[in-house]
Amino acid sequence: MDALLRRFRPEQLRELILLLVIVGMVVFFATQIDQYLAARPVNRITTGLAITAVVAVGQVLVVLTRNIDLSVGSSVGLVAYVVGTLLTRWTEMPPLVAVGLSVGIGVLLGAINGLLVAYGRVPSIIATLGTLALYRVVLVEFSGAKTVTTADLPDWLNDIPSANVASFEGYDLRVMVAVALVAVIIGQLMLRYLSFGRRLYAIGSNPDAARVSGLPARRDVFLAFTLCGALAGLAGFMFLVRFGNITVTAAQGLELQVVAAVVVGGVAIAGGSGSMVGAFMGVLLIEILQQSLLRWAEISEFVKDAILGLLILLAVATDTVVLGRLRERWVRIRRRDQEERLAAAPGEAADVR
Amino acid sequence: MAGPAATLEPSSSHERLPGAPVLEMRDIARAFGSTQALDGVSLSLFPGEIHALLGENGAGKSTLIKIMTGVQQPDRGEMRIDGRPVRVSSSQDGQRLGVAAIYQEPMIFPDLSVAENIFIGHRDRGVRVDHGKTQREAEAVLARLGVSLDVGEPARGLTLAQQQTVEIAKAISLKVRVLIMDEPTASLSAHEVRQLFRIVAALKAEGVAILFISHRMEEVFEIADRVTILRDGRWISTSPRGELTPAAAIRGMVGREVVELFKRERTAPGAVRLAVRDLHKEGVFSGVSFEVRAGEVLGFAGLVGARRTDVGLALFGVAPAERGSVELDGAPISVRSPQEATRLGIAYSTEDRRQLGLVMPLSITANITLPSLERYLGAFGLVRRSAERETANSFRDRLRIRAPSVETPAAALSGGNQQKVVLSKWLETKPKVLILDEPTRGIDVGAKVEVHQLIDELAAQGMAIIMISSDLPEVLAMSDRILVMREGRQVAIIDHADASQERVLGAAMGQGGDLLADEPGVDLIAGTAAAATLDLLASGEVDPELLLRDPAAPPADGDRA
Repeated sequence: MDALLRRFRPEQLRELILLLVIVGMVVFFATQIDQYLAARPVNRITTGLAITAVVAVGQVLVVLTRNIDLSVGSSVGLVAYVVGTLLTRWTEMPPLVAVGLSVGIGVLLGAINGLLVAYGRVPSIIATLGTLALYRVVLVEFSGAKTVTTADLPDWLNDIPSANVASFEGYDLRVMVAVALVAVIIGQLMLRYLSFGRRLYAIGSNPDAARVSGLPARRDVFLAFTLCGALAGLAGFMFLVRFGNITVTAAQGLELQVVAAVVVGGVAIAGGSGSMVGAFMGVLLIEILQQSLLRWAEISEFVKDAILGLLILLAVATDTVVLGRLRERWVRIRRRDQEERLAAAPGEAADVR
Repeated sequence: MAGPAATLEPSSSHERLPGAPVLEMRDIARAFGSTQALDGVSLSLFPGEIHALLGENGAGKSTLIKIMTGVQQPDRGEMRIDGRPVRVSSSQDGQRLGVAAIYQEPMIFPDLSVAENIFIGHRDRGVRVDHGKTQREAEAVLARLGVSLDVGEPARGLTLAQQQTVEIAKAISLKVRVLIMDEPTASLSAHEVRQLFRIVAALKAEGVAILFISHRMEEVFEIADRVTILRDGRWISTSPRGELTPAAAIRGMVGREVVELFKRERTAPGAVRLAVRDLHKEGVFSGVSFEVRAGEVLGFAGLVGARRTDVGLALFGVAPAERGSVELDGAPISVRSPQEATRLGIAYSTEDRRQLGLVMPLSITANITLPSLERYLGAFGLVRRSAERETANSFRDRLRIRAPSVETPAAALSGGNQQKVVLSKWLETKPKVLILDEPTRGIDVGAKVEVHQLIDELAAQGMAIIMISSDLPEVLAMSDRILVMREGRQVAIIDHADASQERVLGAAMGQGGDLLADEPGVDLIAGTAAAATLDLLASGEVDPELLLRDPAAPPADGDRA
């Protein structure tokens, strides 16, 4: 264990463990379910995780700052419905305009959250619980209880779900999945290489120090919510593309799925630590588990939610205990190594006198 | 930072006094409510000077620092940098002007790397982070301080001393010109203090002005060039180290007008109520042994960080001690929780009235009966409101709590009346031993006299009282004996008859009684080898690199890339 901790930081070790769990799970289900690794079920799982992954990327930005965005489900539903309705009325709308419009509405919704939290000082859990309800009501009012149906949507849109970027012996890389992967990669690079990304970690890691160090914490939190909204907007468009039939309950409960993925993926709910890659693995684990149980044990929708709840509790509980222990141990090892180095370099400890 | 022609460049650091001050505070005043925290304080800092700021608890040091760094605004007065008036309205402003502060508890981002911790506050580094470059530059900055740390690793788990070093590195990288160090040595080991002083000497050699705050007299007299003393928010003196002795400094810090507000009639105390032997809590306090008798007031004196409150909390079972014995009326007890303490007859009234002492939105009645609520339960476990009110009313009369009714929420009361409610609440538990932590902090003079009167009455009735207080005249006026603590250790128990402000503060600051009988002019500490080294550095005759280089550190010749 000590050797492992010398090589990896506790956070990296946690992601490694997650990867092993995923692999173990796949191996287990492969022995239980016929044709588990065949092209069709694999494609089903990858397509299924695209939307959650995109929303999760935005959620990570917010959670890193020690906040949370519960309104993402409503935002996705609202964007899907509004853009879907516009597309049924104005079928000539260019695809790029439709995507831009989706992201634009998402930005607006995210900015409202950001204003409330960063400048209005409303705790994010309350602010976004409020907008979760409000955005849904806006959708209900806007729709007049009508639904968007696939038949009314332009053909180009209905063709996207089956569009492929690449395909290998039946295993497809669908456009939607590619979009999700790109979002994850860009997100990860942003967190690692942009000063904005590093500041998100700083803000969640020690809010007081962020203030005293003169970081633009409020602006950054506002931006994190706005970007989260933008990604929810993009996911809204993907939702429209994937399902075609949009009702007022579209994407209801997606926030649970996303928060579960982020937390399972090792993003600390108290902010300051975690990565996009981790969150993506969280999405992967949840999608695989749900889809596999659906086939293996024929579980119901309610059980799916129960699994999410269980995973959230399990992830947070193990993080506080296991990650806490790992960190303590890591610190001890580092201190000890340091002392040994000091002892091996005589003279360093000598005083000025 | 492009200053006027008169600006001193760091390179001209050897031309210290007389030169132009880098920072001047002129006639600064600041009040909080009715308390005048600062009243016409002036202070100048010169490049390359280590300026110590001395003062008792509440002398206004913290407020002055907060104003210098832009955390708070003065009501009156002016701050000048390089002779030009400036307005510092946020810590960003302070940073921009080159004023930074390092506190006893460093402000570190545990999840970011050491290098990122140093550079995260920089606004001029563009949107992209070049991790390699950041780490090389961080190493260079640390090397200037003679320190080597693994800059790529997260800051989590650095020792306090290392965290401070990171903060100093951060300040230097921001081209700091005035560095304020607020009790930086309070939690460091002797070896770490030496290392910190090496760093401070290196900064001084680079022309940084350092404002150094410490409660350790020997440190102040070792490294300071000049010493300014504050008392009760007022400037008392600024003198070169050579012209000041520790005894004179202590006299300057106390010398507070002692208006004896209340004169206690001391009677012979009764039997031993509480006997504490060798109380120990790792890293917090150790070797605390004392007795309190019935009818006796034992004062607890000491400066911030003396750990007096921790002893109180240990006795009350909030954070129990690890070793040592406690006897109550001759029977050994082991208090593991406040409930147990209350049952045994030990009460503790907190120094933090607003956060820990009262439930602000609740009524006076509800606050008073909260710890003893079990006694007010009637049929079906319901609270007997009338009995509660009766008790509250009797306390209101007895302690003269000024409020429209006992149903008034605690939040609506003045500080003094709130304190009386806290006292009522603990008296209602009918304690044998009452621990009072800062019983008169932040309350007006009238209420203070009343609280003193009450303490006297309680003692006369045979209660054993431990009074933790930072108000020296109060400790002297009220205590039968005074226990002095310093950095977690009990350093003296002084009888009322032998106690003086100088003696108590001297003990609290680590100056023995003999030192106080010094002859003026003899500098006891500046003659040490370390101080001589520092003087040598300050004179500019020696290349600081030669003295300060850490043998294990890579050569500090800038960019090794």
